[in-house]
Amino acid sequence: MYEVITAPLPGLDLRRHYGHYQSPAIRAGGLIFCSGMIAVDPQTGERQHGTLSSEAQVIFGNLKLLLESAGSSLDRLVQVHALIHDSVEYDVLNRVYRQYVANGPPARTVWAVQIEAGFKVQLDVVAAA
Amino acid sequence: MSLQRQVMASPLPGLDARRGFGGQMSMVVRGGEFLFVGGLTAVDPDSGERIRGTTMSETRRILANIKLLLEAAGSSLNRVVKVNVLLQNMLEAPEMNEAFAGFFPEPPPARTVCGACLPHGARVMIECTALA
Repeated sequence: MYEVITAPLPGLDLRRHYGHYQSPAIRAGGLIFCSGMIAVDPQTGERQHGTLSSEAQVIFGNLKLLLESAGSSLDRLVQVHALIHDSVEYDVLNRVYRQYVANGPPARTVWAVQIEAGFKVQLDVVAAA
Repeated sequence: MSLQRQVMASPLPGLDARRGFGGQMSMVVRGGEFLFVGGLTAVDPDSGERIRGTTMSETRRILANIKLLLEAAGSSLNRVVKVNVLLQNMLEAPEMNEAFAGFFPEPPPARTVCGACLPHGARVMIECTALA
């Protein structure tokens, strides 16, 4: 089975707002593969640059909306790639992160990389459908 | 319960990562319902020579090679669920994005793009997961 998960709110459609050639998520083989999430307003798509902490909170809020619209949830995350702009902020990420994945956290890898448009964090996740 | 695990044969010698990387990696491995494709940089599919060009030309070359690999494994670009793109320079993401159009169906797969340091002068590296 291959199913495209559309954006539950207009702001989460990065293709519409920024021309990114990608779908918000794909459900296949019992899993949901999400496109890399950045901090945008879920209604308007406006970029919400801030601190790593504030960006991560926006992303987790959006991820919750996206996963729940697809019948999954943050509790069903399997794997997370947390991309951050600077490894110095690893602990900053962790402080936000543990608020959202308190019970049985998913497998995770953290990378320090360049993120689009100068964002400080991007989350790339796979969840159980 | 054990799911199928199978290393898929490369369709052309230039895409045989076991040859190019001294036996250390396979280009496509099937696990259960999925095909996992290792990170590709731009190479000539016949000779395996590195091809260095622009972000756009390298992206096109890599996607064409992924198409060959997936089709040889009985899948196709239409069955790709997730693509991860690594760029030497994130400022060139729009070029990469433009090169993507035409390779994938509508609507396209999920994707993550980030900027990272790539090996031997490559400007683009792409890995993906597809339904087998």
